[in-house]
Amino acid sequence: MSEAAAREARPGADPAAIKAQIVEYCKRKGALAVGVADLEAIDRVAPPGHRPGDILPNVRSVISLGVGGQTQGAWTVPTKAFAYFGSTEGRAYSIAYGCSFFIESRFRARAIYCPPDMDPEGGARIPLQSLKLHAELAGIGARSLAGDILLHPEFGYMYYASVFTELELPPDRPLATNPCPAPSCVDMYRKTGQTPCMKFCPVQCLSGTIDERGRQAEMRYEMAKCAELTQQYEAVPEVLAEALAAGDAAARERTLFDPDASLLWYKMSVGSGGLLAQCFECMRVCPIATRAPLADPIRRAQAADRKD
Amino acid sequence: MPRGLTFEQIGVTEAMIASYADAIWRLSNNVQIRRGDPVRLLELDRVDAERADLGMSDAQIAAVLGLTRDQVLAIRVLTEVRRFRRRNYHRLYELGRGSRFRADRYVPLEARGGFRADALALREALRFDPKEVRRFVEAGWWGNDTLAGWIAARAAEAPQRAAIRGPDGDLGYGELARRAERFAVGLHRLGIGRGDVVSVQLPNVPEFLVAYLGIARIGAVMSTAHVPYRAAELRTLLAHSRARALVCLSRNKDHEPAAAALALPSLEHVIALGDPVPGTRSFAEVLASAGDLPDDLAPAPADPFLLLYTSGTSANPKAVPLTQQATLGNARMGAPEHRITAADVVLSAAPYSHLFGLYSFHLAAGVGATNLLLPAFTPPDFAQAVAAGRPTVLFVGPAHLAALLKIGLLDATDLSSVRLVIASGSACPPELARAVAARLPNGRFTQLWGMTETQAGLYTRPDDPIEVAALTAGRPSPGTEARVVGPDGAGLEPGEEGELQVRGSLMFPGYFDNAEANADAFTADGWFRTGDLAARDAGGNFRITGRSKDLINRGGVKYNPRDVEDLLDAHPDVMQAAVVPVPDPVLGERACCVIVPRSERSPGLEELCAYLLERGVARYKLPERLELVAEMPLTPTRKIIKSRLVARIARSA
Repeated sequence: MSEAAAREARPGADPAAIKAQIVEYCKRKGALAVGVADLEAIDRVAPPGHRPGDILPNVRSVISLGVGGQTQGAWTVPTKAFAYFGSTEGRAYSIAYGCSFFIESRFRARAIYCPPDMDPEGGARIPLQSLKLHAELAGIGARSLAGDILLHPEFGYMYYASVFTELELPPDRPLATNPCPAPSCVDMYRKTGQTPCMKFCPVQCLSGTIDERGRQAEMRYEMAKCAELTQQYEAVPEVLAEALAAGDAAARERTLFDPDASLLWYKMSVGSGGLLAQCFECMRVCPIATRAPLADPIRRAQAADRKD
Repeated sequence: MPRGLTFEQIGVTEAMIASYADAIWRLSNNVQIRRGDPVRLLELDRVDAERADLGMSDAQIAAVLGLTRDQVLAIRVLTEVRRFRRRNYHRLYELGRGSRFRADRYVPLEARGGFRADALALREALRFDPKEVRRFVEAGWWGNDTLAGWIAARAAEAPQRAAIRGPDGDLGYGELARRAERFAVGLHRLGIGRGDVVSVQLPNVPEFLVAYLGIARIGAVMSTAHVPYRAAELRTLLAHSRARALVCLSRNKDHEPAAAALALPSLEHVIALGDPVPGTRSFAEVLASAGDLPDDLAPAPADPFLLLYTSGTSANPKAVPLTQQATLGNARMGAPEHRITAADVVLSAAPYSHLFGLYSFHLAAGVGATNLLLPAFTPPDFAQAVAAGRPTVLFVGPAHLAALLKIGLLDATDLSSVRLVIASGSACPPELARAVAARLPNGRFTQLWGMTETQAGLYTRPDDPIEVAALTAGRPSPGTEARVVGPDGAGLEPGEEGELQVRGSLMFPGYFDNAEANADAFTADGWFRTGDLAARDAGGNFRITGRSKDLINRGGVKYNPRDVEDLLDAHPDVMQAAVVPVPDPVLGERACCVIVPRSERSPGLEELCAYLLERGVARYKLPERLELVAEMPLTPTRKIIKSRLVARIARSA
C-alpha cells in the first residue's frame, strides 16, 4: 500500500506525522530509541540478498528501534550466568512485531518485523538482514571498537529490531558523533595501546587504533574467535566428530557424555538460550554501555526523578 | 542457485578447500577491519572500496575469487567448523563479579597440568567396594580430610603454637604452613603435579615434614625410603613407584645419598638436604620458591597421598597406596581414643618413613599438638629428648623400650611429663610392658597393632588396665573391623588362635602394581589377611600370638630377607641360602643366615656381610648369625621350609 493510500486512510496525515505516531507507539511499548533508516544507504552497504527489498519487495521504509540492553544488576553477575541473559531481546522483537500490526491496522500499509535470524541459505553466521546497519543508519547507535557493537550516547548498549513497511517515511540521519571511544578509554589506549574491551576480551578478538583526536582510526574484529564463546552450534558436530574418531567405547562415551557435552545436549534439547549467548565481557567493561546517562533502569528512573 | 547441493555436485574438493580456505576466511565476516566510521558518516564509496576488509557476502567473495557462491559457502562453513575451538568457552567460567580476563595470566585448559600416566595408574589401584565406600562416608569414617586442609586450619587457629620442636627451637603451625606452601611451589616449578610420586629419604627432621606437607599440598604422593637404604634398595623402589623426585640427605655418615641417587635412571630431580651436591637441587633452593599455586592443584580427600613399601626392595615390591581420607581419618578418629589434644607434645622414636611414625604426626597435626623431633633413635638421644622436650606422648617400639630399660635409661630419665606411651611395631613382651608402666608416674602404657596395609587397626585405650595393655593389642580402632578365623575361614570363638583378618575404612585398596601379592591379600568377602596369628578375649581385645609370614622384625623394622637371600645364593661359595629370624631379647628378632656351602670352604659371617655391603645392602639387613647346614629342608616344590630351620636353630641354642 502506498503513501497515498495511507494518507487516504488517515486524511491529513503526512509522512512525518505518521512517523511520529509510529515512534510514539514504539516508545509507549518500551523502546528507548526509534528511527528510520535511509533505504538507499542500506542498499548501498548491504550486499545483494541481504537488502530489505529481498524480503519485502515493495519496502519503502526501514524502522529501527532499540530497547534497554541490561539492568544494572545484570552487569554484576558472573559471566557463566550472564551468558544466559541472551544475545537477543524478546522485547525488541515484540515491539517490532506489534509495530508492524500497528502500521497495517492504523495506516493500511503492509509491514513486517524483520526476521532476526540467520539466512537459511548462508550458513550459521550470516543473518538475513543486518539489524545493526538499520539502527546505525536510523541514528540510534554508532559502531564501537568492540566488534562494531552499536552504542548510544544516552542509552549505552541496546538491543535492536527492525520493521519494514511499504509506508514511505522520512529517514533520519546517523548519529552526529560516535560516543566510542569514551575519554577514559582514550586515556587507557594512550597508556597501554588497548581499550578496556580489547584488554579484557576472553579470546582477544578485538584490536584497533585511536587517532590523535581520540576517534576510532581502525577497528579489528575476529568474529570467529568471538563466536567460540557464544555460538555453540559448531560444538555439536565437533563433539560428534570426536566421538566417531574415538578409539574405544569408553573414550567415545566420555566424548559424548562428559559434563560439557551433556550440557550441550541439554541446551539443544530444551532450546536453551545459553546455547547461543553473548559473553558480554567487552560491554561489561565499556563505560558507555554501563555508565551512559540512561544506560539502565536505575539511571533512567533517577533521571526521571530529576526531571520531576 | 539453490542451496543444499552436495560437495560433489558443486565441485568442492579437499584441494579446493586447502587452496581457498584462508582467502575466504579473510574476505568473509570472520575477520572484520573497519577504518574510520564510514557508514555513520555516509562515506558509502569508502564502504565499497574497503568491503574486502569490512567483510563480504559469499556472492561477493565468489566474484573476487572466481568461484561459485555455493563453493564459497561450502568452503567457508566447513572452515568455520574446522577452526572452531569448542573448549574456549570455558574461559567464561572464571569471569564476572569483578574478575576480568587477563591474557597474560590465562592458561588455556589444554596447557593446564593433568595427571600423568603413572599417576593415573596409581589412582587406578584405588578400587574400593562401592557399598563399603557408602558405608564409610555415611558413618563419617571418611570425611573431608586433607593434610593441607588440616595444616591450614591449625595455622589459622593458632599460628604461633609450636608444630615442631626440634634442635633449632620451635616452629609454629603458621610458619610450617608457609614453608610447606613454598616447598609446594618449588615442586610445582619442577613440574611435579597431582598424583606424581616424590620419594623422601630423610630422618625425623623438620625438613621431612616440610617436604611431606609440600608434596601433599599439590596433590602429589609421598613415598618414603628408609634412611639406611642404599642404591640397591632405592633402585628397585623408585623404579616401582615411578618416583619423579627424591628428597634425601647430601651426606649420611659415610654415605652420600644425593650423589648416589643421581645415578638412578628413573629420577628426574634429586633434592638434597645439606651441603650442595653438583647435579642436584638444594632443599633450600626449592624452599625459597615464591608464588601462588594454581587452584587445580588443590588436593582432594580421596586422592592417594602416600605410597609406602612394606617389603620387596630387590624384587616384587609391595607398595601400599593410601588416600588422605582413609589415612587422616585414622588419626582424626584416633585422637580422642588416645586422648591426644592440642596440649600434647608428641615424641616418636619411630622414623617418619614408617607409617607408625607418620601416624604420630597425623595425630598431632589433627589436633594441633607439638611434634618433638628425634632425628634418629639411640637410647641416649631418646633419653635426652625426653628430658629436654618434656613430651607427654611417646610413640615407641618394644625394641626401643627394651634397649632403654637394658641400659638403665628408663630409670635414669624423668618420665613425669609422659602421660601416654603407645607401643607398636611388634608384640610387646608383657614383662616389658609392665616394667615400662611401672616407671610412668603420671602416664599409661598402651599397645597398638597395625600394618601399613591396615594402619592403626587395634589398640588398647589409656583407661585399660595394665594387664590388658600388657597382654593384648587392644580393640579395633574406629573404622576397623577385626576377626580371627580358622584354616577354613570360619570365625573362631574367644580364646581360639587363628589368623587375624581386618577390614574397614582404614584398609588399603590393594598393593600397587603387584597382582601376585594382591591375589592372596584379601578374602573373597573383602577381609585382609594380615598373616598374623591372634586370639580374641572375652572383652574383645586381640592378643597377637605369632606371625605366619616370613618377615624379619628387627626392632620393629620389618623386612623381607629375600633380596639378601638372592645375593647370597649368588655367592661363589654358597650353594643355597636362607635368612630366618632368631629371637633376641632387645630387638625381638635378628637375622640368621643359613647356608649350604658349595665346597669344603665355608665363608665366614664377616666375609658374607662384606660381600652384601659391596652390593648395596642396608646394614640393618645384614645377617648377624651364621649357621651351616648340609642341606635345606625343602617342600615338594623345592621351597625351603624356614620354620624347620628356625626350630633347628632354636634347638641348637
